Amino acid sequence: MQTILDERNRLFRRQFLRQSVTGSVALSALLNADNTSAVASAVTSAQPTAHLAPKAKRVIYLFQSGGPSQLELMDYKPKLPSLHGTELPDSIRQGQRVTGMTSGQKSFPVAAPRFRFEQHGQSGAWFSELLPFTAKISDQLCIVRSMHTEAINHDPAITFMQTGSQQPGRPSMGAWLSYGLGSEAEDLPAFVVMISHGSGSDSNQGLLDRLWGSGFLPSNHQGVKFRSGSDSVLYLNDPSGVDRNLRRKMLDGLAKLNDLQQQQDGDPEIATRIEQYEMAFRMQASVPELTDLSNEPESTFDLYGQQAKTAGSYAANCLMARRMVERGVRFVQLYHRGWDNHGKLPTNIPKQCRDVDQAQAALVTDLKQRGLLDDTLVLWGGEFGRSVYSQGSLQDDYGRDHHGRCFSMWMAGGGTRPGALIGETDDYGYNIVSDPIHIHDLHATLLNCLGFDHERLTFRYQGRDFRLTDVHGRVMPQLLA
Amino acid sequence: MNLFHAMKSLFMCWSMSLFHAFALTTNLATAQSPDRQIDFARDIQPILAIHCWSCHGPDETSRQAELRLDVRDQAIAKSAIVPGDDSTSELIHRIDSTDTDSKMPPDTSKKPLNEKQKELLRKWIQQGATYAKHWAFEAPGRTAPSSQSSSDRSLGPIDQFVNDRFKQMQIDFSPRADRETLLRRVTLDLTGLPPTLEDLNQFLSDPSEAAYERVVDRLLASERYAERMAMAWLDLARYADTNGYNNDEERTMWPWRDWVINAFHRNMPYDQFIVEQLAGDLLPNPSRDQLIATAFLRNQGHNTEGGIIPEEYRVEYVADRVHTTATVFLGLSMQCARCHDHKFDPITQTEYYQFFAFFNNLDEKQASYSKFVAAEPFIRVPSAEQESQLKNLESEMDGLPEKEASKKKEREAMELLLPAVMILRELATPRETFVLKRGQYDQPSMRVSASVPSILSQLPLNNSTAGNSPTGEPVGRLELAMWLVDSRNPLTARVAVNRWWQSFFGTGLVKTVEDFGTTGESPSHPELLDYLATKLIDSHWNVKELQKLIVTSATYMQSSRLTPELLERDPENRMLARGPRYRLEAETVRDNALAIAGLLQHRMGGPSVKPYQPAGLWEDVTVERKGKYKEDTGEGLYRRSMYTFWKRTCPPPSMMSFDAPNREVCLARRARTNTPLQSLVLLNDPTYVEAARLLASLMIRDGGSETKDRINLGYRRCVSRNARPDEQKIIRLILEQAQERFLSNAKQATDLNSTGATPVDGAIDSVELASWTIVASTLLNLDETISKR
Repeated sequence: MQTILDERNRLFRRQFLRQSVTGSVALSALLNADNTSAVASAVTSAQPTAHLAPKAKRVIYLFQSGGPSQLELMDYKPKLPSLHGTELPDSIRQGQRVTGMTSGQKSFPVAAPRFRFEQHGQSGAWFSELLPFTAKISDQLCIVRSMHTEAINHDPAITFMQTGSQQPGRPSMGAWLSYGLGSEAEDLPAFVVMISHGSGSDSNQGLLDRLWGSGFLPSNHQGVKFRSGSDSVLYLNDPSGVDRNLRRKMLDGLAKLNDLQQQQDGDPEIATRIEQYEMAFRMQASVPELTDLSNEPESTFDLYGQQAKTAGSYAANCLMARRMVERGVRFVQLYHRGWDNHGKLPTNIPKQCRDVDQAQAALVTDLKQRGLLDDTLVLWGGEFGRSVYSQGSLQDDYGRDHHGRCFSMWMAGGGTRPGALIGETDDYGYNIVSDPIHIHDLHATLLNCLGFDHERLTFRYQGRDFRLTDVHGRVMPQLLA
Repeated sequence: MNLFHAMKSLFMCWSMSLFHAFALTTNLATAQSPDRQIDFARDIQPILAIHCWSCHGPDETSRQAELRLDVRDQAIAKSAIVPGDDSTSELIHRIDSTDTDSKMPPDTSKKPLNEKQKELLRKWIQQGATYAKHWAFEAPGRTAPSSQSSSDRSLGPIDQFVNDRFKQMQIDFSPRADRETLLRRVTLDLTGLPPTLEDLNQFLSDPSEAAYERVVDRLLASERYAERMAMAWLDLARYADTNGYNNDEERTMWPWRDWVINAFHRNMPYDQFIVEQLAGDLLPNPSRDQLIATAFLRNQGHNTEGGIIPEEYRVEYVADRVHTTATVFLGLSMQCARCHDHKFDPITQTEYYQFFAFFNNLDEKQASYSKFVAAEPFIRVPSAEQESQLKNLESEMDGLPEKEASKKKEREAMELLLPAVMILRELATPRETFVLKRGQYDQPSMRVSASVPSILSQLPLNNSTAGNSPTGEPVGRLELAMWLVDSRNPLTARVAVNRWWQSFFGTGLVKTVEDFGTTGESPSHPELLDYLATKLIDSHWNVKELQKLIVTSATYMQSSRLTPELLERDPENRMLARGPRYRLEAETVRDNALAIAGLLQHRMGGPSVKPYQPAGLWEDVTVERKGKYKEDTGEGLYRRSMYTFWKRTCPPPSMMSFDAPNREVCLARRARTNTPLQSLVLLNDPTYVEAARLLASLMIRDGGSETKDRINLGYRRCVSRNARPDEQKIIRLILEQAQERFLSNAKQATDLNSTGATPVDGAIDSVELASWTIVASTLLNLDETISKR
């Protein structure tokens, strides 16, 4: 291609890039290195060099969609067995808004979790028996039991967590990072999304395009979905009948034709397009190489579990996440559906845990072994927690409603404090009694790890400098190493 | 009526003199001398708005030290500004200070000033620190361009305004684009489709000066034009075929989309277009069409998630209407004032809720998830066919009781199949509107009544400034709509013509088409913008006439060739010294390919369709993984992309790759990116593979036996010109390489030919067809094919 992209073209392009929003996955890095481009001028103050020394270079966000119960997993409440079946006191509920699904309930009976808890590691973190693998890496984790959100329904809650606003219209977290950091990878997107379906329920809440959308940011920052199957990126595969060699020859011809057109029209955007075709061609090789797990040794599957051999499973996606960050993807987001346990929680939550436990612990371990954990931030959690009271009347196979006042998350690597236990909830696991961390605070802290001052990573739209953290958010030093 | 006209002409005289003063300063200011005259609107206001007004601006609650820098007298009274003397102005002391306690803006604001900005502030104070009312809040002036002609071409009014700027810049128009290019450009712009070969031949065979104008008239009259114009309206109206949000049920708002198409087809005056969409229900004896029009304000999402608080979402929907109305018609970002007074624009929180009150009186009901049809209020809208069926049923009811009962049942069953269109209907007893603290639905404070922001209230709302009309009736949406289309409204016409300008040139005269407020960009050609705005008003809001004026201008007809000099001096083409050149929009990329291949099915309107889409995308995200995407067969695969079913939580992926929004919120300007995912769509999406095969068939069948002629036919279909010799050579090589491949492996040829639902032309040899399909695919992937130039 160098013969085609001659010096003249490159000069043209460079000049053009200074002035125009010509984003692309690989060019975004170039754009960000150039203070005077239109995109970069909006983000001038957001240059990684202009803020802080980044501790994390990339993020893996293991999102547990539906709202996993903190009470069955990580927030051990020893008094609950003795409170089982008693009415939730008004002093605890404090007139708290509950969803329309339980607001008609006359009684709010406390449901004690039916699973055993034990302490683990140096930190003494409590984990239920449902997460034996995750419990084993507890000293790597920064565990937060005092997350809270105002939202109590899925759509606003998940939108809040991913975009910093309960209502549609804002860019997603990954889009912000793609915009701020660009891509490290030559031939892979900066922001990748993978979806898996839980065994615990039939995914009874939706996911939404906006969760990985670019909002008002240029659309090249939207998340690229990777799916199981051969067309792991949409339209990746050549049509049947077109082999690689033929495609190469056609693209060579196309590049020459486009180059002639550039000489004719003088528009540097054409040179950029020639590059995009080259990158698409490279992606057609790099993506299958990335998604092909056949060259992983058996020890990998011993670590992640045999489920990791099933394409599209959470375990396989965890392994894919490691392979992606190795190759320079900035933000890998997994969505695991099925945590919305309104009923039959004791039956279903163990299945959800079996989906995720071994593989997510393996991912952290694997990243550490490969020296990637230091600058890769792993994030685990859902959009809210679940209520201590039973949804409907209290049964053996009880259910729990949504609960925003407290929920648990964990982080690992990327500048977070290993072995930290942050925040405490009351005896009911209902209210936070110490160290509350709001979603905005989580976002501010996450950006801090990535080298951004959350107040300065901004994009001007309709006259306003928007931020992921809106007008809120505090960096939480207790989360940091 | 007489009084109205008298007032109108008085108003015009006043604004004209003001305008001349403004034009003069602009001209002086743009001369790039070291001691140039500072222009408040262009040079100072953006600095103050962004760096100072958050604490020293219109928002009373966050104001510090009781200092306002947005009001000149108050800034002077506090000695922040001493006109003519920067050395004693406190503002200058503060911005130059290195002491963290006195430095402004303070470090905590994280909005430091750079040296250039400081210098501008100094100069501005030295020159007297004049303020000007923000240009966009003054009615557009009527003015004539100063230049009459340039070199050898006759210039129309648009061109003369453009030429005025050229003189300051010492640049000139580019040559006129060649005729093929021009025909393709204007056809794509006005119809979103390429010219047909007949169009091309006809135009090239008619060398008369009037030929181009005849083309424009033909295009403006076509149904394809109406579709193209409606397509642009769908982003603004956040039109979609589902509710969005968690459950994302299907809705049937497409009769509204068809109403928009018809409105453009009939060239409905733009003022009527606005009034019917905002308040069609409040017109006397509204027709069904006028009720359908009001679906514009019901196009927002609707959340049916179990457990939401209906009032919370009702308030969100009203806020969405405020945002949409303000953005689409006024180019203002009012939502900033929802939680507190606006930091930059003089819109208070109280004024926000006064505007909110216009939309707060709807008889809007929360719908439930199970068996969602539509959220009340809605009407059932039969198609012409359904209507006649219903009539037949009616006439068959002949009095026999048994038969009647079954017919009635039949009729009821049929009515349930009719599309339900959500419309506007006012509550009988008005709902009170309150200022909501921090924008929260459950935090009402002061009660307010409907009104427009005071910054715009020199234009009275139904001859009354607020609350009630002179007759004592409360003012409502109809009065608001009438106010928007009043010829003296400073924003409505400007915002409209600016958006059309954007659709033809790629960038608005005001680049921030969604923001005409103080932080929006100043117009590149303020006089031209005002000329077009007043032209629109004076023509009784004649949309086609105004668009014709633009596309017949010499400015529009220039070659888009970019010289190194132009690239250096004006990379974004803001000075308009060349024609537009940029990638087509998402829908047009696909429609263009379908038209080139002869696949496009022309049918105006109707239910949305489901063309090719990779399997499983919907199930990945839908509730309980229900709701499968069921691809259409036949016609539905080849309709224009504006008819593609738009699921908000999972929009058509190939559209998203080309910068389409997900249609959850109003959008006035799409990004224009250039990514490898776009290349993958054009190379591998079955839509384009099939189009390539069909184009190949056409090249073989209609192109004659000579390779050269076939290639030329392909070029003419794709880019309205023949291939140049060097292009012929490259294409021949691609063809030969493909032939070689397919000859050695015939199965590959039949595999490639099997993509797409259209039957393979059996008369063509399989290897030949596949080889030409590779050529055709190359042509469909040319930058030139997917660009307007």
